[in-house]
Formats: sequence, structure tokens, C-alpha cells
Amino acid sequence: MSDLAIQLTNVSKHFGPKVAVNKVNFQVQKGDVFGLIGPNGAGKTTTFSMMCGYLFPSEGSLQVMGVSPSTPGALKGRVGALPQDAVLPPGWEVGALLMYWARLSDLTQPEHEARGALEKVGLMEAWKVQTQALSHGMAKRAAMAQALMGRPPLVLLDEPTAGLDPRIAAQVRQVIKDMKGTQTVVVSSHNLQELEELCDAAAILDKGSLAQAGTMSELTGQGAEFRVQIARGDVIIPEITSLTGVTDARMEGPDVLRVRFDGQAHKAEEVISRTVGHLLQHQVLILGVSRGRRLEDRVLQLL
Amino acid sequence: MIWAAELRRAVRSGRAIVLLGLYSMFSALVLLVVGFVTRELQAQVNAKLAESGGDSEMATQAAEQMRQGVLGFLASNDAAMMEALAKVPIVVLIVFKITLFFLPAYIALMGFDQVSGEVGPRSMRYLTVRARRSSVLLGKFLSQATLLVGLVLVIDLAIFVYARILNDDFAFATLVLNLLKFWSATIVFSLAYVALTTLCSSLFRSPAVSLVFNFILLFVFWLMDSVGRAVSEENLLRFLRFLSPSYYSANLLHPKLAEFAVSGAAYAAFAAVFLFGAYGVLRARDL
Repeated sequence: MSDLAIQLTNVSKHFGPKVAVNKVNFQVQKGDVFGLIGPNGAGKTTTFSMMCGYLFPSEGSLQVMGVSPSTPGALKGRVGALPQDAVLPPGWEVGALLMYWARLSDLTQPEHEARGALEKVGLMEAWKVQTQALSHGMAKRAAMAQALMGRPPLVLLDEPTAGLDPRIAAQVRQVIKDMKGTQTVVVSSHNLQELEELCDAAAILDKGSLAQAGTMSELTGQGAEFRVQIARGDVIIPEITSLTGVTDARMEGPDVLRVRFDGQAHKAEEVISRTVGHLLQHQVLILGVSRGRRLEDRVLQLL
Repeated sequence: MIWAAELRRAVRSGRAIVLLGLYSMFSALVLLVVGFVTRELQAQVNAKLAESGGDSEMATQAAEQMRQGVLGFLASNDAAMMEALAKVPIVVLIVFKITLFFLPAYIALMGFDQVSGEVGPRSMRYLTVRARRSSVLLGKFLSQATLLVGLVLVIDLAIFVYARILNDDFAFATLVLNLLKFWSATIVFSLAYVALTTLCSSLFRSPAVSLVFNFILLFVFWLMDSVGRAVSEENLLRFLRFLSPSYYSANLLHPKLAEFAVSGAAYAAFAAVFLFGAYGVLRARDL
């Protein structure tokens, strides 16, 4: 059985003459939390919608949990999805609606599932509330709850924390962290700090094309570079460059030393310790060391 | 499951009550107007007869002739149908014909947003990860059809009870038999239009556009039927009437099974074509 939860091969989506997604390739491993990253109009929601079977790819092939999302009924029981801008149908009480959806998903205990999911997103008080009476944040959480019911093997979340207050957003992030390892989660978001915290891997999209995809370590360069914040002292760059494993060293501004190393042949902790030891021996005082760079910096560099 | 859930929602919503009220008011209005016109005509005929020295027997004969004339018009002068409908108060027949003419518009008002109302705001997305699009469509169609069947029964029952109160010779057994007959005819007729509304609702994202398009199609069908009937038998345009569902409504009350079956089959075929069309559209479209 494949270890891949999702596989996109040369997937494109056209809306008339407009190319929303252009020959995108990436894979999502089972059990990972995977991020879809990109600015507005990058094609995140279109890609997400194709994974959920809402949109059909114009070209290429897409496999989700071993099936094509375009096949009628193929995703039933396999996928829980939070669409970004889908309105909850009016005329329903939240509890009744979730139970109805749980029954449609063939869940054996609809009420138990519905209550459990609402509790996870902190919305038990809305059980009897009509969907049209929910605030934006509450509607978002109710929609999130329906995606969690039945613990589907794959959960697709489009902007799960957008518009939520910080406390609830943290609660939602915790829900995602709790799924890590047991369920595959795909999260689309603009919040790069959040994605860096949550994701094992990510794909960065720009103008419909894939800019880069890989593990978070690969994207942030955690296994290949680190930065040392200098408090006082003179750094002699050639000496740093000559240390074992170091491939490049340079000052980024007056106080930050960036060191790149061969992450394949040398362990990060060895190269960092060697470099820091060298600096201390030469009376260079340091304030801190950070591995890689922030995801935000990487994304800004790419886009 | 979708059928039951959608039906519960529709029944609980204010719309079902508003539509029932609207349909009742319309039927009551037609009933009152037709009743009034019938009574006035009868009174004028009686007055004329009295002026010319005619007796009560002549008045009864004139009334019967008038009734036969109207019945002949409503039953397309089909002897078998006229005989079968002879015991039904004429007012019921006229109201039936008029409400049947407007029923497609009522059905359009009832269900124009059944699909477009969920595709536009993308609520449909919550359903399609759990159920096939075909199941969603069929569930919505059946919920609309069930609601309509219930509403039509309520209205038909009210009309027949009203006719029974006004006509002492309208026997209870005849009432029940004809109520079932008229109700069945209305169901057969309306299912094709419910399917048409489902198709129109599937074609567009905007409920308003679906409604307008639905009304345009109803007008086109009415035009095809009218033009097809109006032109001579040599004109090729006469075949247009066969493409209009309303053309087949004439024999829905026919006592001969074969005649009724042809009409019923035509409506079933229209319903199937519209429903398959709706499925084809929904199956292929991005949500």
C-alpha cells in the first residue's frame, strides 16, 4: 500500500483563458501535516478544491488516498474538508446539521461524533443555534467540526484559522497538532509562522506554479545553514570557512554570521558546535544561534 | 437520506407555508371567479328564458346544454372523457384546468434555488465529499416532488370539499374517486416540471438567473404548444406541440388506460430527460 496520501502529477486548471494552476507536481506523505503556501492568487484554493473533488483538473492526474477525487463518491469516508468560503446551509440548527452530515458519511454514532467534533473546536454552546445566526468565527468552527467528524484519514483545511480570535486559533492549531501522525492533514494558509509551527512539509505556490516543495527542514534550510548573532568581537570569515563541513560563511549585517554547511556529510550539531567553539576561542561573544531561516524569509526569497 | 433531510428542512421553513398560502389563495380566487361567472351566466339564461315564456324544464335543458358545451371544450369533445367527467361539478374542472396551467410557474417558484442556491454559496461542497452528486440531485428532486404532492393534495381536497358543499348531487364516492384521479393526474403532470426546475437550477450558480431561465423555458414550451396547435396540419411547425409537455395534459383525466398511459409516458419521458440533463450538468461542473 502506498505511503502517499496525495499525489499531484502535472496538474493544471484553466478557467477559460486564465491558468489558475500550471503543471503542479507534489506529494503528501501519509501522517504528515502538509502546508500549502502562497500569496493571494497563487492557486492554493484551486489546488485544494481539486483535491476535494470540487473542481476537476483540466490536465494531469490527481490521486487522493489512492483514488481520483473526480470519481463519484470516491472520497466518502476518506476525506474531511473545510472549504474556505463555503457558506453553511441556512435553516439548520448546528447540531442537527452535523448529525445529518455524519449520517451521510455513514458514521455509526452521528450525535456522538457531532458533539465530539464541536467540543474539539470549542463550540458546544452552538448546538441549538441556527446556522444563519452564527458569527463568522463560529461558522468557521462549525465548518471545521464537520471536517473532523469520524476522524477521516485525510483532513483538508483551507485557511482554518483565518478570522478566528487568537485563543480559538491556538485551539484549532492544537487540534491539528493532535492529528499529526495518525491522520494526514493539508493546511492552506497565509500565516507562515503558523505553518512553520504545524507542518512537516509544504508546497510553495506562486502564480499557479510550484515554486518549491519539500520537508520543512528542506524549505527552511535547517539541515544546511545556521546563524550566529554576534554580541562583540571580530569574526574572521576565512577561518570559519576553513572549518570542517562549512561550505560558506558571511556576515548578514554587522551582527549576524550566516554559515552554510554540507548537511549530507556532517551533522548540524557538530558543525554548529565546532563553529561556536572557534568563535569563543577567538574572544567572540555570542548572543544566540538559530538553525535555518524562518519560513517567511524563504517564501519571500522565492516569490 | 438527503430526500428526508431536505424535505424536513423545506417543511420547517417558512417557504412551504408561504407557497401553500399562495397556491391556496390563487385556487380560491379562481374558484370564486369561476363560480361567480357560472352563476351569472345561469341567471342570465334563466332570465332570457323567462322573457321568452320558457318553463323550468327549458331552463334545465339550457343549463345542461351550457354544461355540455363547457365540458366538451375542456375535454376536447372526447365522448369517453366527457362521459367520465359528467358527474364532476364543472367548476372543479375549470379550476383544475386553470391551476394546471399555472402549476409549472408555481413549481418554478418552489424549487428554483434547490441546486443553484447551494452551488452559488458553495454549501454543496459540504455534501459532495459525503455523497455522490447524483444522490444529492435525486434527493433534492424527490424532496421537491414530495412537498408538491402534499401541497397539491391539500388544495385538491379543499376544492372538492367546496364543490361538494355547493353541489348536493356530487356524491361522496364520486368525490373520493375523482379526487384520487385528479390528484394522480396532477402528480404525473407536475413531476416533469419539478424535473425541469431541477434542470434549470442546476444550470446556473445564481438562483435568480435559474428562476428567470425557468420562466423563459415555460413560456417557450407554451409557445410551442400554442403554435403547434394553431398552424394547419400541412405545416411542419405543427410538430412543435409534441415537444411541449403541456400538449400531453389533455388526456391525463382520460378514462381509457391507453390514452392516459400515453400521456403518463410522455411526462415520464420529459421528467427523465430533464433529470438526466440536470445530472449531466451537475456531474461535469465545478462546484
